Amino acid sequence: MNKKELLKGNIAIAKAALNCGCKCYFGYPITPQTEIGEFLSKEMQQRKLAYVCAESEVAAINMALGAASTGAKVMTSSSSCAVSLMQEAISYASSDELPIVLINVMRAGPGQGYIYPSQGDYNQATTGGGNGDYRTIVLSPSNVQECVDLTYKAFYLSQKYRNPTILLVDGLLGQMAEPVEINDNPYQEIDNSSWRLDGANERPSRNIHSLEPNQNKLNRHIIELFKKYTIIEQNECDYEEYMTQDAKVILTAFGTMARHAKALCNYYREKGIKMGLFRPKTLYPFPYKKLNELSQKTNLIIDIEMNMGQMLKDVRLAVLSNARVAFIGKPVGDWLTEEEMIKAADNILKEQYASI
Amino acid sequence: MQVFNIPRAIKQNSNFTFCPGCDHGVAIRLVAQIIDELKLQEKTIAVASSGCSVLLYDFLDVDCIESPHGRACAVATGIKRAHRALNNDRFVFTYQGDGDFASIGLAESMHSALRGENITAICINNTNYGMTGGQLGPTTTMGQITTTSPDGRNAHYHGFPIKTAEQIALCEGTSFSARAALYDVKNILSTKNIIKKAFQYQIEGLGFSFVEILSSCPTNWKLSPKDSHLKIQNELTKVYPLGIFKDVKND
Amino acid sequence: MIKNFIISGSGGQGVLSIGTILANIFMLSNKFVTYSPCYGAEMRGGAVNCEINASDEQLLYIQNKEADIVIALNQTSFDKFISKVKKNGTIIVNSSLAKINKTRNDIKYIFAPLTQEALKMNNVKIANSIALGILSKITYKFSIENVKKAYEKILKNKNDLIQKNIEAYLIGYNYVQER
Repeated sequence: MNKKELLKGNIAIAKAALNCGCKCYFGYPITPQTEIGEFLSKEMQQRKLAYVCAESEVAAINMALGAASTGAKVMTSSSSCAVSLMQEAISYASSDELPIVLINVMRAGPGQGYIYPSQGDYNQATTGGGNGDYRTIVLSPSNVQECVDLTYKAFYLSQKYRNPTILLVDGLLGQMAEPVEINDNPYQEIDNSSWRLDGANERPSRNIHSLEPNQNKLNRHIIELFKKYTIIEQNECDYEEYMTQDAKVILTAFGTMARHAKALCNYYREKGIKMGLFRPKTLYPFPYKKLNELSQKTNLIIDIEMNMGQMLKDVRLAVLSNARVAFIGKPVGDWLTEEEMIKAADNILKEQYASI
Repeated sequence: MQVFNIPRAIKQNSNFTFCPGCDHGVAIRLVAQIIDELKLQEKTIAVASSGCSVLLYDFLDVDCIESPHGRACAVATGIKRAHRALNNDRFVFTYQGDGDFASIGLAESMHSALRGENITAICINNTNYGMTGGQLGPTTTMGQITTTSPDGRNAHYHGFPIKTAEQIALCEGTSFSARAALYDVKNILSTKNIIKKAFQYQIEGLGFSFVEILSSCPTNWKLSPKDSHLKIQNELTKVYPLGIFKDVKND
Repeated sequence: MIKNFIISGSGGQGVLSIGTILANIFMLSNKFVTYSPCYGAEMRGGAVNCEINASDEQLLYIQNKEADIVIALNQTSFDKFISKVKKNGTIIVNSSLAKINKTRNDIKYIFAPLTQEALKMNNVKIANSIALGILSKITYKFSIENVKKAYEKILKNKNDLIQKNIEAYLIGYNYVQER
């Protein structure tokens, strides 16, 4: 306990990035993630690392694109409407196979929305907000300790698979402080000497580009990318299960919403309803297989999100016709309260449990 | 008869893919010669952009990355800064068209200059969007007919063109800003000296160095290669005067 | 048992600092704790509040409608947060800057002239620490070692200030008894 410190999610992410060897940060201010850039500005300048107060998010992500091509560990951070501005470069980086870590501390949309909490960027993050056939790895923390752990993991996976990786953080988590331990980075370093651009010295020159006028080559390139995505889907699905073993009703939720969902499980368990929670920690790759297995043993899945039902699509794809899928959600603003969630859940459960 | 050797920094057996009479080939050859002369091949990372200039990496035998349209200076910033953070000394330059540098990428270009980013940018100005078939661009001259200004550029309707080298010269972080042309041998040689100077300023760590090169676009100008070069000599240099607009060593 | 706290006041009253110190005390006491600051668009002088949840178990709900204990350091926050006090909860009000007025009979009121007490110690900014002392007394009676450690964490090497704040904390701690 002594090693713990009380940190906001934003600061925890910044500290973890530094701790695992992030060499470059490029960013532009936007609430509620600005503390990441503020914190890193001082630390990175002291360490003689690369830090640029970029002129826009467009510039920031493109600086990250260039920096990633050198093999250095690179991070940028932003929030919802400004992450939209970055999508072009994310599409490029996916085709270029460049490891960029992008932190999206979500606010409410669409458009400018406001700084209220929301989980409205699930679709954009997991299905790619840019053009073309590509996927980005998406990790979702539900507490501040996981902000640290999954930042390490984001750097590792981005390097391992040479793929842009997004840490999708609820706005609340960026601002909220909890006791955390900044442990050592548990992941091994990935050798990038076979592809990085560091000058054609005693080796042929290298070329990183997404443009490909030859349609056969372009086809092959995309098919290769998707072979990589298949491997990611096979190896990297990560999730948390909470009292699912005997569960007759399974809740699905991601990020901080999953904490409230756990409380709901506790509440209904006391009432004699065997409820459990399935929380994907990787939103892409989505753990379809595991959720499918769980759904075979239940007849009701309730998806809970702070949006109008974005992960719901993936939940349905996993559950297929194994169970009924219901949804509790709210787009923005104050988090769903205990009373609101119970009221909504009661309505759904009534059909199955006469006791409610 | 071979007048000069193919530079070492040009890829062997590469075929010329630009339109006949286009100056891109000459510009890239000059860059390659300078890379040879300054012994930069092993430590260069070039940034190509969107448009005809993206083909740079087909010819130049150095490490190269393509940037999204307009973002070359931002990408170059990332590369230069990252290598510095890795304790590597690398030579980084961008090769862009005028649309890329001065229209869609003006923010990235100008802010790189304002930051005094220690990179070099080369901007090929052919007064139109060439690869897409000759549309009105930021440097299209008054009265010039393009596919999107069929009656010619009109100040009231289309607004005014940008004098890029002069604008970049105004930025405090700029070490060197010049405009050159390739319409005759004398100018080709002076362009080479100018690019070389811009490269050397980066090597000396003086800040952002910039060269705008007036280039021919015979296909979209609907002129022969010869007439294209006469147009540059007689018309374009009147609108876009050649010269050095900023040189920290002389100012 | 989960306890929820709201600390409220205006910018400059040290609302967030005392909230952070309280959260650190909980952390040092081996509790699970969350701390969420909340402030308006104004950088100075606007309304500020923060919410702290503490528990012996993992904290699931991180946003709550009501709090067991509310500290209101001025009139505006007293008016705003009086409705957020849980039934049988307590509100600690800075009576130097808010009128003594009991509109609810299902909660406990503690009115204390925090600003006046702080001025007696020649430092208006430590009113927040007096409030923390009161809170400590009526809840967990934190160990003074952990309180000191929390102040040291936040105020780093400013030893005089740490000393002054702990004095203020103790005045608050003993204030309830004296009444």
